[in-house]
Parts: sequence; C-alpha cells; structure tokens
Amino acid sequence: MTENFQDHQIRDAIKINYKYTMGGQSKFFIEVMKNKKLFGTKCTKCGKTWMPPRINCSDCYEPADWVELNQTGIIQVSTIVWYTTSAFIKAIPYGIGFIKLDGAETALFQGIFSENLVPSKIKKGKRVKAVFNKEREGKMTDFFFVPEDEYENWISKPEYEGGV
Amino acid sequence: MSRKVAIIGVGITPFRARYLDKTYFELAYDATKLALEDANNNGAEITHHNLESTVYVINSYIGMNNKPGTRIASGGATGGYTVRMAYSEVASGLSDLCLCLGVEKCNDCYDEQTGVTTPEVLNAIAYSADMTYEYPMGMMAASSYVSMVNAHYEEFGNPTEEQMAHVSVKNHGNAMLNPKAQSPMKITVEDVINSRIICYPFKMLDCCLYSEASAALILASEEKVRELKIEKPIWITGVGAANTDCFIGNREDMGRLYSNIHAAKAAYKMAELDYNKIKSQIDLAELHDAFSGQEVISYEELGFVPFGEGGSWIEKTFEKSGEGPWLDGELPCCPSGGLIGCGHAVGATGIMSTGEAAFQLRGEAGKHQVSIEKGRAISHSIGGPGAAYAAIIVMANEEGLK
Repeated sequence: MTENFQDHQIRDAIKINYKYTMGGQSKFFIEVMKNKKLFGTKCTKCGKTWMPPRINCSDCYEPADWVELNQTGIIQVSTIVWYTTSAFIKAIPYGIGFIKLDGAETALFQGIFSENLVPSKIKKGKRVKAVFNKEREGKMTDFFFVPEDEYENWISKPEYEGGV
Repeated sequence: MSRKVAIIGVGITPFRARYLDKTYFELAYDATKLALEDANNNGAEITHHNLESTVYVINSYIGMNNKPGTRIASGGATGGYTVRMAYSEVASGLSDLCLCLGVEKCNDCYDEQTGVTTPEVLNAIAYSADMTYEYPMGMMAASSYVSMVNAHYEEFGNPTEEQMAHVSVKNHGNAMLNPKAQSPMKITVEDVINSRIICYPFKMLDCCLYSEASAALILASEEKVRELKIEKPIWITGVGAANTDCFIGNREDMGRLYSNIHAAKAAYKMAELDYNKIKSQIDLAELHDAFSGQEVISYEELGFVPFGEGGSWIEKTFEKSGEGPWLDGELPCCPSGGLIGCGHAVGATGIMSTGEAAFQLRGEAGKHQVSIEKGRAISHSIGGPGAAYAAIIVMANEEGLK
C-alpha cells in the first residue's frame, strides 16, 4: 500500500491500584502478620486439610474449619529461576517450590531460600521450615522456607525471625 | 443430534517476533482475508459478508458489525477452546458459516528496565496466575510447566535433559521447512543443553518464543459445505476439553496434567477413536510444545506411548526413518515446528495448529507435508494458570471419515 514504510511506536503504561479483600481467607494473612502462625483449613465432612486454606471444601461442598499447621514440611517439587518477569528479574536466581506442610494434604507454593542455592539442596523430599520477615504486612511475601539445617542461621539474621 | 462441521478455509499469517507494520486489528484482518481466499480456492465463492458469526470479538475492522461475536480467554489453550466454541456454534445450528479467529500482539509489551520486551510479556501473562498466593512468589509460565516436568521426572525418571533436547532439535528442525515459522534452526542436542539456563532444568532452546501473529479458520455446516461445493472439507470429528486444578499444589499427581488425559479421551471418544490405539489411528499431531518437556509428557498423556516412555520414544528414534515423533516418523508430532519452531502467538497458536493439521489432511502443507494414510489428525492446546486448561480437536478428511 505505502512505499518506504516507517513505523511509529508510542510509550505507554497501564497501572491499576487495588485494595482487594481476602474474604473468608483473611484469617490466614492476619495470623501470618500478627502471630507468625500458619493456618490451614480442615473439611468438617471429609477431613481434608487445605493449604492454601479454603473456607469451603471444594470436594464435598461442606464448610471447613481453621486449623493451625506445623511450620515444617517437605518439598514436593522445586525449581531455580534464572530468567523471569520484569517484576522479579532483579531477584534472580531464586528458588521456588511446592511444599506440603506436615499435616496438610495440599502443597503451598512458596519461595525456598538457601545459602547454597543449587538444585540438589532444594530437591523433592528435602525438609524445610518457615522463616518470617520481622516487618510483615499480611501477604505471602511475609515468609519463605529454608532447608531445616539452615534454619538457625536464617533466623539469626537481623531482618528475619522464627515462627511461633 | 448435532450437525457435522467442517473447516473449509484456513488463514495463518507468518509468526514473527514483531510486526511494526501491523496493529492487532490489522493482523486479524490479514488472517481473515487469507482464510476467505483459502475457502475460495477450496471451491467456495464467499466474502466476509457471508460469514454469520465470529468466535473472537473483533468485528468492526474485519467488517463483521451487527453479527454475533464471542470472546474466549483460556490462556495458552485459547486457540483450542476457540475452535471448540466455533464448532459448537455451527454444530448447534446457531451459525452456518463461522469465523474462528485468534490474534496475538504480545510484544507491544516493553520492559523499560532491561530495554527488551520479554520480561514484560512474561509479567503480563503471569497476571493470569493466582494473584494472592502464587504471583507474589515469582510464578510464571516456565516455572509452572517446569514444576510438572520435574515432578514427572521424579516419578518416572523421564524426561531427561537429553530427551527434552531432542524435542527442541526436532521442532526447530521442522520449522526449517515452514516459511511461516519464527525460529527455524538446525541444532544439536548439545546446542540445547549448552544454551543458557532459564528455569532449572529448562534451557533457552527448550522454551518457545513469544510471537505476534494471527490465525483464522472458516467453519461450515455440512449443508453449507455441499451448497458451496467445497472440494476438500476437513471435518471436525471430535472436540474434547477439560480443566484441572489451577493450583498445582492441590493436584494428586503433580507430574501429570489430568486435563490433557480427560480432554484426549473425550475428543477421541467423540471421534470414535481408541485412546489405547490412537498412535496408529492418526497421521499427525500438532501438540502444545510451549516447553520441550511438556511435549514429551503429552506423548504419554494423549495416549501415544505408556507413561514413562515418552522420553525414550523420541530419543531412541532419532535419525531412524519411520519411527517416533519425527517428521518422517510413525506419528509426526509438530510437523509445522510447533510452538518451539513457529513461536507462540498465545491467542492464535491453537488455531494455527488446527489450521496446520487441516492443511496436512488436504495434502497442502508444503515442504513439511507428512504422509497421509489414515486421513486423521489432532491438534492440542494447553494453558492457563498452572497450565490447567486443555483442549483437543480431532479432524478427518473424506478418507478419514470411513
């Protein structure tokens, strides 16, 4: 159609601010923020323990009760990320994985930190323990997991502390 | 009883990293025009005025005002789901000629801090993950797929890094024969293994690239196929879809996508094919190889080989004519080059792969044409948070209906 096509690009950005409710799951975030506790839920009918918590059991359509879980668990699967989204690219490399807390039946997706971040250190079957930021705001980023044998080192750092 | 539905026209634009000379709407127009031209080469005499509905809600720029249009949003499975819904429009009698359209212009995203597009594209797509529990931890497409692949490896010792690399060699190689592909490359297993690490154990060459492109299909009822005197209708004989839990941590077996298994079984059953014999009942499969390891697992989940044998099926058949998923193999997988070879135009990919399979069944795929003996093919789409959504389309030419 046109000869000597010349493109024209415009710089732009979309930003939307939110203040969204955690609804029935609010207790989970409040307990993390105020008490450094990890709460899951247990179905009143089938007894399945959900983590992340659901106040309703999706399997049997009955309510689920809050239940405090251990802060230790086992890595089900993990990876180390070396290239990622614009929001996280400054954090690479970082370890992430699915952790089944002792007593839970579903696995939680969380950051796995290690002083020696190599695949063998955070592989399936390794035991991990939760470490909390001293400054918490009631978000998932308030805590992370570390290999159990590194736990004491991590909670001795000034910005972190152990759970209850 | 639902009506028979055929693909009568296919339009696929080249897959490119960037179209600086096209907007989203201009790309949609190009694929629509190509699909109309293809339908007319296939015996029809139609224009956009004859199209009765769209599944994809672009209307104005493609001259489809005042007609129904429905938008589908199923992440990477959008293409397959769009074909499924367009099929439903025609099968149900809502429409006799339906335009099934997908467009992607993702590389309009731009990351100012690194001065490239990809991290911002990844971020925009990561917003489709759970925003409360998963996005804040750095979840993205590669890390969700790699979790399934790593869990599969833990359970079956398969796929290994070398086996995954074979998929990359195959699909980049197939793309050498496809002029519309973004990433044609003749590479070796060592090249893949030595490429930079993205997300352990995925290397750069294990991953597809994001593309800009558009793809369109024109679907017609049997009555319309006869009326328009279509020479080579490609009948949609099976559509199957399923969504598994978006939280990978809730899944009983993290190393399996049950959505793939359920979608495949539903699609094959509708097409009167057998999940346990499917490898010998179809001529080719256009799979959703967003990451090489997922293609290996799909061989198992879609019933081509038993669980645990996907990796050896590709590795042991390397350079053995008539065997494995290679272009000249027993069941060529991704002859077009797939997502790894063509690129991944997320909203258009599943429509491209369905259209590619239709071209193959018409014997008009070009240099990457495979041998068509049974007259049947499948296309496969997966996507969404945790790659939870799956859609599978089974197609047949006139011979394949027998």
